[in-house]
Amino acid sequence: MILSHFTALVIFALIVSTVFALITKNEPREQFRYGVFVFLSFLAVAFVVGWIMYPLPL
Amino acid sequence: MDQANQQVESAPQPAPVEPEAMNMVATLGICSAGWLIPGLAHILIGRWIRGLIFAASVLLMFALGLGMHGKLYDLEFDEPLHVFAFIANIGTGIPYWIAERFNLGIGTMTWPSYDYGTTYLWVCGLLNYLIVLDAFDIAQGRKP
Repeated sequence: MILSHFTALVIFALIVSTVFALITKNEPREQFRYGVFVFLSFLAVAFVVGWIMYPLPL
Repeated sequence: MDQANQQVESAPQPAPVEPEAMNMVATLGICSAGWLIPGLAHILIGRWIRGLIFAASVLLMFALGLGMHGKLYDLEFDEPLHVFAFIANIGTGIPYWIAERFNLGIGTMTWPSYDYGTTYLWVCGLLNYLIVLDAFDIAQGRKP
């Protein structure tokens, strides 16, 4: 199985944010909001770090 | 009127219902079951939906990690730092030993998604540790 880096990142973020949301919050509404927040944070941080690394000669 | 208000204010409030704590032996048994089979601890406590979501999350991540040719680490004394990877991997419980038994976690370093697969396998084990700790808190009445 070969996934693109972005697909692997999205699946990773989805699963981890689901578990984090269920563990840390008790009410379904809070869980949903926190899960979305963590998921989007994963994506945002990945984009920002990716663009920071882009000009580096690696 | 004021007297009536005071009476209402001073009326005894119903005490908040505190969740009952299980005894420690039962709690540790449930946590062990949850470590060996991801999500089982919550199912045994009665949190069916939560348990099934946890089981699906951990097992899906584990299967994807193996599918991406990730590596499962053994306890190797000649490589001391691999102990941390081993501890993360065994967090998955029985699926780890099944995969080891069938030589599924050999890891192909030349495979494009090898690094992602190995990370998936670490993280699903670590998530299962968190899930077991959550079940411990619920069983001990520290969490609703």
